[in-house]
Formats: sequence, C-alpha cells, structure tokens
Amino acid sequence: MKCKKVHRLLPLMAGGNLRPSQISAVKAHLERCSECQREYDAYILSLETTKEWLEKDRKDWEESEWQRVVQNAVTQKKPEVSPLAPWPFRKVWAYALMGVLAVALTLLLVVNPFDIGQGMMPDSGVASRIQAQLSGSPLEESQQQVVKMTMVLPETGQKIIWFFDKNFALEVNE
Amino acid sequence: MWMKNEDELVGEVLQGDHASFEQLLRPYRQGLLNMAYRMTGNREEAKEICQDALVKVYKYLHGFQRGKSFKSWAYKITINSAYDFLRKKKRFEDTVQRQKDLEWSRSPDPERQYRNKEIKDRIETCLKNLSPREKAVFLLRDGDGFSVDETSKILKCSSLSVRTHLSRARKKIRAQFERMNLGYREEVKNEM
Repeated sequence: MKCKKVHRLLPLMAGGNLRPSQISAVKAHLERCSECQREYDAYILSLETTKEWLEKDRKDWEESEWQRVVQNAVTQKKPEVSPLAPWPFRKVWAYALMGVLAVALTLLLVVNPFDIGQGMMPDSGVASRIQAQLSGSPLEESQQQVVKMTMVLPETGQKIIWFFDKNFALEVNE
Repeated sequence: MWMKNEDELVGEVLQGDHASFEQLLRPYRQGLLNMAYRMTGNREEAKEICQDALVKVYKYLHGFQRGKSFKSWAYKITINSAYDFLRKKKRFEDTVQRQKDLEWSRSPDPERQYRNKEIKDRIETCLKNLSPREKAVFLLRDGDGFSVDETSKILKCSSLSVRTHLSRARKKIRAQFERMNLGYREEVKNEM
C-alpha cells in the first residue's frame, strides 16, 4: 500500500472504521513508514482530545426545565394518526372522500334528475282532483279511500309511490 | 427493579399515559440536548430545537415502528429539527461567531469557569469549519457512539456517504489542531 492511499484511509483508521483487511494493510505500512505513523498519531490525538472535550462539556437539563419541555410536548399536540396508517384512520383519505362526495353532490344538482316535467307522472284521477282544489271548485265526493301518485325516474327507471288517504288536503299559499 | 422496555412505553404513551412519555425519553434527554447544542452553539436555541423535536416525537409516535431503535428515531427527529432551525435562521455561517452563551459557563469557581470556557471555545473552533452534515456525522459517530450503519439510517444516507463525511470531518479537525498548535497530548490533558 502506498503512502497516498494510506493518507486517505488514516482518518477512518483513527476511529476504527476500516475493514479488518484494510486495517492490517495500513498497520503493516505504518510499521515501516515513520511519516505516515506521525500523521496517524496526529489523527489519534485530535480525535481523542475532541472526544474528551465533548464528554467534558456535556450539558444537561435542569429537572424543572426538562419536565416543562416534556409537558409542553404532551399538551401542545395530541397523538395523531400516522400518515402511513390505513384508511379510515388516515386524514388524507378522509379529505379525499369528502372531496369525492362534494363533486358527486354538485353533479347531482347540476344534472337535476328530479325533473318534474319528465319524471313525475301522477295518476290522472289524482291530478284532476288536485287541479280542482287549486281552482277552488267544490270537490266531488269520492268513494275512493286512498289515492296513489307515482313518480318514475327516467334515468334509472326507479319508481317512487305516494299514498294519500281521502282526507288529504293540499294547501297552497300564494 | 424491573424496567419496562421501549416498546411497552410507546404503547402506554399511545394509550394516553403522559408519564410514560417522560420515562421513554429520559435516557436520551442529555444526548438530544447536546446534539442540538453542538449543531447551533447556543443553549436557548438548543432548547427550542429539543422542544420542537419532542412535539414531533409525541405527534408521530404512531408512526414509530416497534422493535426498531427508539434512540435512533429520536435523534433523527432532533437532527432534522436542527436542520430546519438552521435553515430558517440562515445561520450556517455565523453559528459559532454569535454572542457567547454566558449562562452555561456560569460557575462560582473562577478557575473552573475559565477552564470550561476554554474547552467550549476549543470545541467550537474545531467544529466551526464543518458543514452541518459533517458535524452531524461526526457528533453521532464520535460524540454519541453510533455505528456507521446507525448513523446512515439516522441521516438517511448510504454508509459510504457517512464514511466520506466522517473522513472529511476528522481531516478538518486534525488540520484545526495543527493551526491551534495542539501537538502534544499531555499538554492538552494538563490544560483540561
């Protein structure tokens, strides 16, 4: 191993961060090269001294200060669900779902499937009676106890049926 | 006395036991504070970083994978908080040059106070030429004794990158020692 390569490896050698094969090669070189050995000693000196300084200058919390910091952490933020958590515990999914529902609702309002002109087709008998009530003419006494009104949705073919008893009265305030 | 392991404590915190949170962090409180302090060089800023880190630890505790090292996870969050702090304040260049933190060197013994200040100044001198990344690698590996693999996981980089930064950091520190004429180990020891 040449001096140039050894010089490159010395910082890691000083902290014991080389592979065993590299360590033995560097050691063999150091035994026969005094200049590299001096360089290695300088690394060891600087590293060990800095470690000692760091150890000697370690700071610690005052107990009250530490307790306050921990208390702040606990009270400031309640534990939240991780962004990696599966649905429905993840907020992102909840917001996405709300967005989809909002879009769907908007589309429903724009398209307006409850189009009365096309979809609502009341029975002719009931319609005539409603018309009679609206115009103020006396309603003919009927023997029928229950009347039925059916609405058919043209898109889905779904039927909605209302049943009215004979006492049903439609009031329109104008 | 039987000690609860970290996973048990994490479980208790998630169930709402606040006392377990303190118990969980107590072994690392000094290390986290010192890491933040070395990154900024200021005690008040270090406390601020730790406060931010602890809030994040508590907030994202659900995301901590049981069975992994809680220590590494807490250090990772603290270092990221320190990066954020330094980025926000734009103090990469003048971290060491700022106003000296007198509170830490406060001591009733003038001689001890002088020695503490000397040591503090020397550490700052050694670390001032390191980039934030080099500083983090050096402090994790040589200051807190994390392995190269652990350091790479904390900093989310490859082992090769850790070795490269570590090598550069040690070279810069060694060069700084030369500039400070600290050629004799015994002399240094006596001064300490």
